[in-house]
Amino acid sequence: MTDTPILRVARATPPPLARRLRGLSDRAIAWLFVAPTIFLLLAINIFPLIWTVRLSFTNYAANRPGREVEWVGLRNYERILTSEAIWSNMQTTAHFLFWTITLQVILGFALAWLINRKFKGNDLLTTLIVLPMMLSPAVVGNFWTFLYQPQIGLFNYMVELLTGTPASSFSMLGPGGLAKWSIIIVDTWMWTPFVMLICLAGLRSIPDYIYEAAEVDRASKWRQFWTLTVPMVLPFLMLAVLFRGIENFKMFDMVVLLTGGGPGNETLLASIDLKREAFEKWRTGYSSAYAIILFVTVFGLASIYVKALNKVKER
Amino acid sequence: MAEVVLRGVSKAFGATRAVQDVSLTIPDGAFVVLLGPTGAGKTTLLRLIAGLERPDAGDIAIGGASVRHDTPAQRDVAMVFQQYSLYPHLSVRDNLAFPLRSPVINLPEPQIAARVQAVAASLRIAHKLDNKATALSGGEMQRVSIGRALVRNPRIYLMDEPLSSLDAKLRADLRVELKRIHAELGATFLYVTHDQIEAMTMATHVGVLDRGRLVQFGTPRDIYEDPVSAYVASRLGQPRITLLPAASFGPGAPERAVQMGLRPEHIVQGEGQPATVRRVERLGDQTRLHLGFGPHEIVTLAEAHTTLAAGDSIAIRPQNPLWFDADGNRISGAGP
Repeated sequence: MTDTPILRVARATPPPLARRLRGLSDRAIAWLFVAPTIFLLLAINIFPLIWTVRLSFTNYAANRPGREVEWVGLRNYERILTSEAIWSNMQTTAHFLFWTITLQVILGFALAWLINRKFKGNDLLTTLIVLPMMLSPAVVGNFWTFLYQPQIGLFNYMVELLTGTPASSFSMLGPGGLAKWSIIIVDTWMWTPFVMLICLAGLRSIPDYIYEAAEVDRASKWRQFWTLTVPMVLPFLMLAVLFRGIENFKMFDMVVLLTGGGPGNETLLASIDLKREAFEKWRTGYSSAYAIILFVTVFGLASIYVKALNKVKER
Repeated sequence: MAEVVLRGVSKAFGATRAVQDVSLTIPDGAFVVLLGPTGAGKTTLLRLIAGLERPDAGDIAIGGASVRHDTPAQRDVAMVFQQYSLYPHLSVRDNLAFPLRSPVINLPEPQIAARVQAVAASLRIAHKLDNKATALSGGEMQRVSIGRALVRNPRIYLMDEPLSSLDAKLRADLRVELKRIHAELGATFLYVTHDQIEAMTMATHVGVLDRGRLVQFGTPRDIYEDPVSAYVASRLGQPRITLLPAASFGPGAPERAVQMGLRPEHIVQGEGQPATVRRVERLGDQTRLHLGFGPHEIVTLAEAHTTLAAGDSIAIRPQNPLWFDADGNRISGAGP
C-alpha cells in the first residue's frame, strides 16, 4: 500500500463518534445524551421532594442532627389541618391572591385595550408602564415602605390631597386593618404591566379584518368587544392569571420587606409562615408536611385550571 | 335593494392614488362586475362603498341618500372579503348567524337557524355547520364567507373575488347559485373578479379599472365588442386579443392608427399572408393556434379537431380588426 501524506493523516484521525459507539442503538445514544439532565433533575428536584414527603411523617429537626428521629405518622398533617392559625394564614393568602389577580386582570386588560391603538408616543408609554415589573422585589418593598410612611410618605400625602383624610391619621402598614390592602396595592402596581403585556399580545394577534367584517355585519362596538375581542384574548388572559396565581401563592420577599407578616399576623402569608416554621423554629418534619400540603393545593388548583385553559383554547 | 351612485370618488394611501375621480352608477338590481389587474383599485372601491375607507373627495349615495358620514353598519351592505375574514373562534353556524344576531335585525333565534340552514345547504356546507371556522379548507372558508353575506338581505352585495379558490365544478355551480339569487331577489351586486367567464355570464354591467380610474363602463357585450382602448380590449377574450403594429398586414390602416387588435374572430384563415404554426394547444372545447407571423406571435382559434401541427404554414387575413392610436385609445368606425 502506498504511503501518501493524505493517507497518513487519515489513519491518524480518530474514528468518528458514531463509529466508536457502534453497537449502541440510536435509542441508547439518545439516552446517553439525556442522562446528565435527568440525573440533575432527580438529584435536585425529585429526590428532595420524596425526601420531604418522608420527613413530613417524622419529628425531625434540622438544627439538632444528633437527636433520634421519631416516626409520627400523620400527626403533623393532623396538627396543620386542624390549626386555626394556619387556616387564618390560608385565608390571608387567598385574600391576597383573589384581589391581586382580580385587580391585575381588570387593570392589565384595560391598559392593554387603551394602549393597543395607534397614537404618538405609544412605544415610550409602553416602556414606562412596564418599568415596575423590571425592578427587584427588594427595591420595591423598600421604597414602598417609604411611600407608606404616615408622616413623610407620598402615598398618604396623595390620599390626603384627594380625599381630605389627614395623612397622619392612618398607617397603611400599621394596625388598623389596612396592611393586607397595602401589599395588594404594591403587588398590583408591580405586576399589572405583566398582565398588560400578555393581553397586548392577545389583542395584537386579532387581525384588523375581523373587526372590518364585524363592522359590515352591523355589530356594535360593544358586541364586537364581547363576542370577538374578549373570547379571542381569553386564552392569553387565562395564561397570565395562571402565572400570577402561582407566583403570588409563593409570594415572600416583597411582603417580608413591607410588613414582615405583621402587624400581628395580618399579612402572614402561608409561604412566610412556612419559612418561619422551617428555618426559625426549626420544626423540619412539621414544616415538611406544611410544604406538602401547599404543594398539593397549588398543583391541584393549577391542574384544574390548565384543563380549563385548554378547553378555552380548543373552542 | 338600492341604487348606488359614486360621484368623483378619489382615495389615496400616501403617494399611492388607489382610486381617482371615479363616477359610477350601479342601477338597482344590477350585477356589476369590476375588472382590472392587481392594484387597479377594485378592492378599494368596494371598501369605499362598504364604508371601511373614507373617500378623500367625492360622494357615495346608496338609495338616493349620501352615505359619506355613515358607518358600515348604517350603510347596510354585505361584503365578501378576499381573505375570507371569518371569526376564527366561532363555529361555521355561529359565523353564518353572526350578522343575523345584530340587534338592528332583531330576528328570533328559530328563524336565524332556518336561514343559516338554508344558506348552508345552497353552498353545500350544511355538514360542516358545527365545525370551527378555522378547521375548514380554503374553498369551504370561502363558501362560509359568501354565506355570511347571503344570509342577509342588504342594500348591496359587495364581493371581492368570492369564487377564486374554488375548484372548477363548484365555481360553476356557485356562479349559477349567485345568478339565481340575483334574479330571484332582484339584489344589487358589485363583484370583483379576474375570471372572464364570471364577468361575461353573470354581469349586467362591466366596469374596467386602470390605475384607479374607471376607463369604461357598459354591458359585457359592449366591453368585448366595442372597447375604448387596447387596455380594455385585453381585459376580456380568451385567447387574449393580439396587438400588432398597424401596418403588419400592409396598408389599409386608418389615419393615426398605431396598433391593430386581432381577436380570433378578426382573423380569416385560408387566405391572405402566410404564417407558421408554432404550437397547437388542444383545450378540449377549443384548440388554440400560436402562429409566427414575421417577428410577431398571433394566438387564434382553430376548429377543435384541426389537423394542423407545429411547423405547418397557414394563410391569414385580418377582418374588421380594432384600431388603436399611439395612446392605446380606440379609433372607432374605421377599418379596411
